[in-house]
Amino acid sequence: MSDKEEREIQRFMELDSNKLTKGKERELAIQIEEDIMNQNEVLADQINQEFKKYNIKSIDIVGAIGAGKTAIIEKILEKLASKYRILVICGDVTTRVDANRIEKHNVESIQINTGRECALNAYHINQIIKNKDLNNYDLIIIENVGNLICPSDFILGTDKRVTIVSITEGEWVIEKHPMLFKMSDVAVINKIDLAEILETDVDKMINDAKKINPNIQVITTSAKTGKNIDKLIEIFGLEN
Amino acid sequence: MKEKLEIIRELLANNQEIDASKIHILMLDLFKTQFKGLHVENYIGDYPTFIEPVYLGDKVKLGDDVLLGPNVYIGKNSEIGDYVQLTNSIIFDNVKIGANINLENCIVAKDSSLNFNNPNIKNCIIIGKADSEEDLKKISFSI
Repeated sequence: MSDKEEREIQRFMELDSNKLTKGKERELAIQIEEDIMNQNEVLADQINQEFKKYNIKSIDIVGAIGAGKTAIIEKILEKLASKYRILVICGDVTTRVDANRIEKHNVESIQINTGRECALNAYHINQIIKNKDLNNYDLIIIENVGNLICPSDFILGTDKRVTIVSITEGEWVIEKHPMLFKMSDVAVINKIDLAEILETDVDKMINDAKKINPNIQVITTSAKTGKNIDKLIEIFGLEN
Repeated sequence: MKEKLEIIRELLANNQEIDASKIHILMLDLFKTQFKGLHVENYIGDYPTFIEPVYLGDKVKLGDDVLLGPNVYIGKNSEIGDYVQLTNSIIFDNVKIGANINLENCIVAKDSSLNFNNPNIKNCIIIGKADSEEDLKKISFSI
């Protein structure tokens, strides 16, 4: 990534609530924001240590509403629910629609409703894991609140962060959300079965992800047809 | 769940001889055996943060930016103030929790109220009304 692009991303990150304040208030707002981010990182690190201690694999799945996050998790559960002891944590502003869908696969799910917050943070996850016997799980999947902006502020301490976009979001969706792809390990382009009908330039989407983050693994999938779900499981380091 | 809550409720009613450790064990057992799958159905208020399992009785009022869970039971007609955080706690009926109070591992008996500036209250049973930290000492039992 070029210096110019790095600076641009940094500028986006600073465009937050502190811009509404001036003088000493602004200094305070920046300090509070930094403290929150630091505390989140410390807690995320502790969570990661706990997962490692209990040999639990963990995945944070991020994406916009309707990208297919829950549908892909359901496809994964169809293949892995009998092989792994799985906990799925579902984040949404409100409702437990996703947790209800997950429970149909005989997997334990916990819904977090974040109310006014637009992303899960390490505190939410820590509150759950400190009240659970982690000996009972091999795999924890976290489905973050549906959007491509706020989750970039908060890491959760998982082994992998996966960002899912779909063909229906348009071929500019990755280019327009660089921060999230910069900090993701895997980019999933879902609903690939619709690419031809919608004449979407999938190569552009793949190239955009690679340009933002040369280390990111990119995969195209269809939760509807099941295409490449096995490959995705392999990328996660799980045994099908 | 109702039967086990009733046992705790009866033990709290006898506030001359509170067996705090017994009540604590009953609460932990309740979380372990009765709370799985509990989720929020209805409440009066804005959009709080819930971490399941959380159970809210009828007509529970929630303030702004409230965070509940995991393992939280709130009985009917209770009112929870703005910025309150409750974790691993049982709040019985008709309780009022004032703004910005953080309760962790606590049981609050019915008709109790907390209304003072002490954000962090942990590991206790509360029976009665407190408008100050001094009041709280008089009506709380460590667990």
